[in-house]
Amino acid sequence: MTNKKTIRNAGTFLLFGGPSVFAFFAVVLIPFLFGLYLTLTSWDVRVGDHTFLGFANYVEVFKDKVFFTQLWFTLKYVFFTVAIANIAAFFLAFALTSGFKGQQFLRTGFFTPNLIGGLVLGYLWQLLFSQVLPYVGEKYGWSLFETSWLTDTDKGFWALVIVSAWQFIGYLMIIYIAGFMSVRVDVLEAASIDGANGLTKIRKIILPLSAPAIVICIFISISRSFLTYDLNLALTKGGPFNSTELSSYHVVQKAFLSNEYGIGQSEAVVLFAVVAIIALTQAYFLKKLEVEE
Amino acid sequence: MKRSKLLILGVCMVFVLSLLAACSQDNTKNNASGASSEPSETQQATGTESQSAKEVKITFFNTSAEINTVFENLFKVYKEEHPNVTVELIPTPIGGAQIEKFQSLLASGNPATVVNLDAGTIFQYKDKFLDLEPEKAKYEDLALTGAIDGALLDGKFIGVPYSAQGYGLLYNKRVVEEAIGGAFDPATIQTRSDLEALFKKIEATGKAPIMIHGADWSLGSHYQGLAYSLQSNDVETNRQFVEDVKNGTADLSTNQAFNGLMDTLDMLKKYNARKSDPLVADYNKDSADFAKGEAAFFFMGDWSWAVIGPLEGRDNEFGILPVPISDNAADYGNTQVAYTEPKLFAIDNSGSTPEQQEAAKTFIEWLITSEASQKAIIGESGLAMPYKNLKVESSNPMSSAIAKYVAEGKTVNIGVTNYFPADWWAKTGASMQKYLVDKLDRAGLTKEIQDYWKSTAGK
Repeated sequence: MTNKKTIRNAGTFLLFGGPSVFAFFAVVLIPFLFGLYLTLTSWDVRVGDHTFLGFANYVEVFKDKVFFTQLWFTLKYVFFTVAIANIAAFFLAFALTSGFKGQQFLRTGFFTPNLIGGLVLGYLWQLLFSQVLPYVGEKYGWSLFETSWLTDTDKGFWALVIVSAWQFIGYLMIIYIAGFMSVRVDVLEAASIDGANGLTKIRKIILPLSAPAIVICIFISISRSFLTYDLNLALTKGGPFNSTELSSYHVVQKAFLSNEYGIGQSEAVVLFAVVAIIALTQAYFLKKLEVEE
Repeated sequence: MKRSKLLILGVCMVFVLSLLAACSQDNTKNNASGASSEPSETQQATGTESQSAKEVKITFFNTSAEINTVFENLFKVYKEEHPNVTVELIPTPIGGAQIEKFQSLLASGNPATVVNLDAGTIFQYKDKFLDLEPEKAKYEDLALTGAIDGALLDGKFIGVPYSAQGYGLLYNKRVVEEAIGGAFDPATIQTRSDLEALFKKIEATGKAPIMIHGADWSLGSHYQGLAYSLQSNDVETNRQFVEDVKNGTADLSTNQAFNGLMDTLDMLKKYNARKSDPLVADYNKDSADFAKGEAAFFFMGDWSWAVIGPLEGRDNEFGILPVPISDNAADYGNTQVAYTEPKLFAIDNSGSTPEQQEAAKTFIEWLITSEASQKAIIGESGLAMPYKNLKVESSNPMSSAIAKYVAEGKTVNIGVTNYFPADWWAKTGASMQKYLVDKLDRAGLTKEIQDYWKSTAGK
């Protein structure tokens, strides 16, 4: 009997899980492993060469100063994007669960930017930053907006952060809302009776009890903002003068524009390692904050 | 019990196999076409009678993204005239991942039969394309003098030019004439001082004298590209000059053409319409402002007609001036406009069958010579074709203005840039942008550009 059950379970798994396992192998695992192999060769589309090089490409990566400047730039970008997006999403979620009229409508509204693709979003904000805001700035004499943010190296950075955060907020907000929903009303009522005010309730009850949501949100926003490419391409194209190139953008430029595939691919692997280490360590430490109700 | 196990297992197997089969279908097709290439070669030698009846499908990879639909319609016309040949368009997005797509097709062993690519890209992948030497004489008869020579890559004819473009200082005739109060003769401007005197007159009327488009491709590729092209009127000499820069035997900081060009940029910067924020670089807005007379000059080429042509409320008459590099009218470049055949048609020689290649040859000839094609390329797209006896006249006043320079032989051949590394314009374009906004001085700019060249030495 148990034997039959095992086989039936295996069959069910194959039926439902098979396609996704197949897709995972075909588009994630195999390309990843093949990519790892390519970093050890001098592969080039133009000649189709596959000479084995060992770790020479990785040595080149560590000589590429630009890559590390941009990795540092990416780290700063990720830090601010994650911080702004999560804090804003947390308070938005808090406001939108307080039960006032029209909160459903507002939730949908805040979620919408997440449904627009990065490219469209990038072009949209490009228009805002380089046409609309300078126009407004000139009209009212606001020197902050008189020139386009995208032509300044520092403001270009903040433009990227603002647009990415704006895109993530809606998505993270939904997860936070789900997290808050799981905080039981009787716990909150008990806290009220004990005399806790709004802020104390957030700090002592809601924050600890929605820790799982926070862990998920930070994990998602870290990994997604590390891999931002389309927004970077559409909004700043790495400009002005390559000062706003995020790591993924640099990798693509290296491989496909400079035709240094091996080095580009090796840089992608280094980037992968950095993202994996940061995302996993933060998940490990934040998980410890989770409490049982 | 056992039966049901087998049943479930069977269903699963069928499911997985069908998935695999779906994937392998394409492979078998590819293998078949690859394998058939050998026998068909003998077939070709023994007799071509069976070939004419055979259906041939060729693909066309297009990087002139702004005219994707023009090509698509053109291919339908070709199908009507040649029922046994189907041409399928592989479009690419404007400014999108064009080269990446080309590379992935090539790497997956599934290359396009015909490509429309930048001459420089074709040069980089020259081993992948068919040598068109046997066709050369035919095209030399058809083309304008020097047009085929200009398309040779390392002396070899592997790409057929179909469009010609020129760039320099486009001018809006109405605005210039209002400023000088009479008819404007472009021949009166032969030096940098002439141009600055004209700019002062224009500035006095309250219009901006010049629009500099602050994008890296305009500054890096087009403006800076002139510096190497102006070394001499011979492409090989210019290539040697760049080699000398790479190995340090030539110095840009003392180079006359380079410094002359940058001196002119210093002058242009003072009169730039986008002076307050030079790097905004909105191509549509810059083109429209120029076309409507907000700026008198525009450093750009005749391709901007694609944006300007359909505009409402624009001016009608436009012309072009060379970018002057000195105050000596006789210096090379002061009276010559930059002229190039930027895109070439080439035929794949890495995965296409001989039938496909033959069909591609006939097809390219049709694209150059047929009236339907000329109507599409010249009439609809506003491009100039470097060929004689064209059946269609251009509606683009900018390319007509350039054609006058071409007819008089007053052109700068910028073919040297075809041999540059693919990231040249992006890397040095960033330095040019810094120079435009005064983040770099001349010495810093020269150093960054020379450092770039030195980093490419030996590659």
